[in-house]
Amino acid sequence: MTWTIVVGIKQVPDADEVGIDPDTGRLDRASAPAVMNGPDRHALEAALTIRDAAGGEVIAMTMGPPNATSILEDAVAMGCDDAVLISDRAFAGSDTWPTSLTLARAAEELGADVVVAGEETTDSSTGQVPPGIAAHNGWAQLTYAEAVDPRPEEGRLVARRDVEGGYELVAAELPVVVAVAFGEFDPRPAPLHRKIYGENDFEPTVWDAEDLGIKDEVGLDVSPTSVGRMETVDPVERKSEVVDDVDDLAAAITEVRA
Amino acid sequence: MTDDDGPAIDPDEYEDVWVFVEEHDGDVMPVSWELLAEAKALAETTGDDLVALTIGEDLDDVAEEAIARGADRVLVADDPVFEPYRADPYGEQFRAMVEDRKPSIVLIGGTHTGRDFAGRVAVPAHAGLTADVTEIDVDDEGVLQARRPAFGGDILATILCEEHRPQMATIRPGVFEAAEPDPDRIDSDAGEIVDVEVVVDEDDAVSEVLEREVGETADITEADRIVAVGHGVEGDLGPARELAEAIDAELAASRAAVDEGWIDGARQVGQTGKTVRPELYVAVGISGAIQHVEGMNKSDTVVAINDDPNAPIFDHADYGIVGDLFEVCPALVERLETEPIGEVVQ
Ligand SMILES: Cc1cc2nc3c(=O)[nH]c(=O)nc-3n(C[C@H](O)[C@H](O)[C@H](O)COP(=O)(O)OP(=O)(O)OC[C@H]3O[C@@H](n4cnc5c(N)ncnc54)[C@H](O)[C@@H]3O)c2cc1C
Repeated sequence: MTWTIVVGIKQVPDADEVGIDPDTGRLDRASAPAVMNGPDRHALEAALTIRDAAGGEVIAMTMGPPNATSILEDAVAMGCDDAVLISDRAFAGSDTWPTSLTLARAAEELGADVVVAGEETTDSSTGQVPPGIAAHNGWAQLTYAEAVDPRPEEGRLVARRDVEGGYELVAAELPVVVAVAFGEFDPRPAPLHRKIYGENDFEPTVWDAEDLGIKDEVGLDVSPTSVGRMETVDPVERKSEVVDDVDDLAAAITEVRA
Repeated sequence: MTDDDGPAIDPDEYEDVWVFVEEHDGDVMPVSWELLAEAKALAETTGDDLVALTIGEDLDDVAEEAIARGADRVLVADDPVFEPYRADPYGEQFRAMVEDRKPSIVLIGGTHTGRDFAGRVAVPAHAGLTADVTEIDVDDEGVLQARRPAFGGDILATILCEEHRPQMATIRPGVFEAAEPDPDRIDSDAGEIVDVEVVVDEDDAVSEVLEREVGETADITEADRIVAVGHGVEGDLGPARELAEAIDAELAASRAAVDEGWIDGARQVGQTGKTVRPELYVAVGISGAIQHVEGMNKSDTVVAINDDPNAPIFDHADYGIVGDLFEVCPALVERLETEPIGEVVQ
């Protein structure tokens, strides 16, 4: 039996380009270009690594606006066999609860044996969605995975997990959700012919909330959390004094508490 | 509305502030005691009990310490199935306890373990879960105000959970201060230890720990001085280590240095690492990415050593020097040894 490996990716505003609107004090995400969440590239690499070892296919999925198709094209260019765009206005305002429900349903629909995701996103950085997918489906989970060792003959996937102060090797029964530690999987480059295919010929499957049978279970209304205030925090004032020689630096250090 | 929309809940049915006390092999993660101290203030405001909850094996000492550190009650789920930690048995046990006892607020340390299983409680309970919180407060109605930095700390967002319970949050290590244990609380029976029913069975587990290796975990959050290394040290920690010795500092690191395996993950500073607030923070070969700065911008004085004059770290430093760390560090050590910092700072 070969595996169906589903990899969750997300389109986010380029973290380096997000500014703050000086009038409202709110994040000005609109002006930042939309890119693939950095840690998801590592998830893609992990998913492809698992396929290389266990056989099967890799399907990328994203929940997002129609223009998130571009990151699916990137994923297909990198080597994914297929991709699904989950898009619906009904998702607007979803916090991690309905978001992970949506992705959990899609993974089920795709017949996933393994779901791979990045550690967290650069725009909301909760890290809750991968465990949320596992929880919604009652599946096993492996987070902070820094190496993966698929064992199709055992029907299990073993991951080396980073735990603070060390590591552990954990074997999980399928289906399993794997959240990949950022920085541990070097994403492979996309070959030119796949890039051309991804951009010109590839069309993702598109699903809405109705297709997944969750129309009344997503969006703002069912999200347990809501955003209250947003305060801008004054940046910490620093002297920003650049000294020319080590003596001056030593003097600065010794004066710290003087 | 379908059933999956979650039960229409009555917040008044939910009471008490819970703190998860994370232990591995008898060692408690420091963040647990930080949360217990901070949650005490919340419980006082709302008039709730402060309840510590611990899951593992042979937890008597942990439970007693929780009482000494202020818990009114400790819920203990003690069983070999919980050692070592696994997401599925932990999550299931915790969920059952939450369902049975209906806490209003549940705080969990934002460690790898806490962030791993919190969702396995919040999802089936349809609870609100806020990640990686750095400030907490509660209003008159008992609504938790969970604040978390967004985009490198430029924005502080307050996340609320008004219509669901419990209100759960994972909280970043190092942001609160732990209270000292008070042995009198044990002698005077100030707190109660409750053994709860273990609802998890090994046969239901879907994961198995094959191997586990954890060394001493350093606690950089308590350090007065820190020398932090980044990718720029290229695997050679020697110069930074000597500098750390010269100024009696703890060694810490950026995520890039941790990912390379040069230094242990317990010493990582930043968004997905620890929050530190030393008097002196020396960043050696660290570029100053927002995720890093977020963990160190509470330091009193920041010194940067970097060979790139445009590195963002200089904007977040009080003093900087543009130079090769392999030259600057030894020269600095030599200079500091002729004028020991210890004497000057007294
Ligand atoms: C979801 C997510 C979470 C993250 N969480 C964290 C976190 O918690 N903590 C964290 O630190 N990062 C975190 N990061 C990573 C962060 O974005 C940066 O990649 C990381 O901080 C860079 O580490 P660095 O500064 O050591 O390395 P680099 O950015 O590679 O910088 C190295 C610096 O060293 C300098 N240098 C090189 N050689 C020398 C020399 N000989 N002498 C002097 N200087 C030299 C270079 O000029 C450069 O400025 C996270 C990223 C993501 C996406």
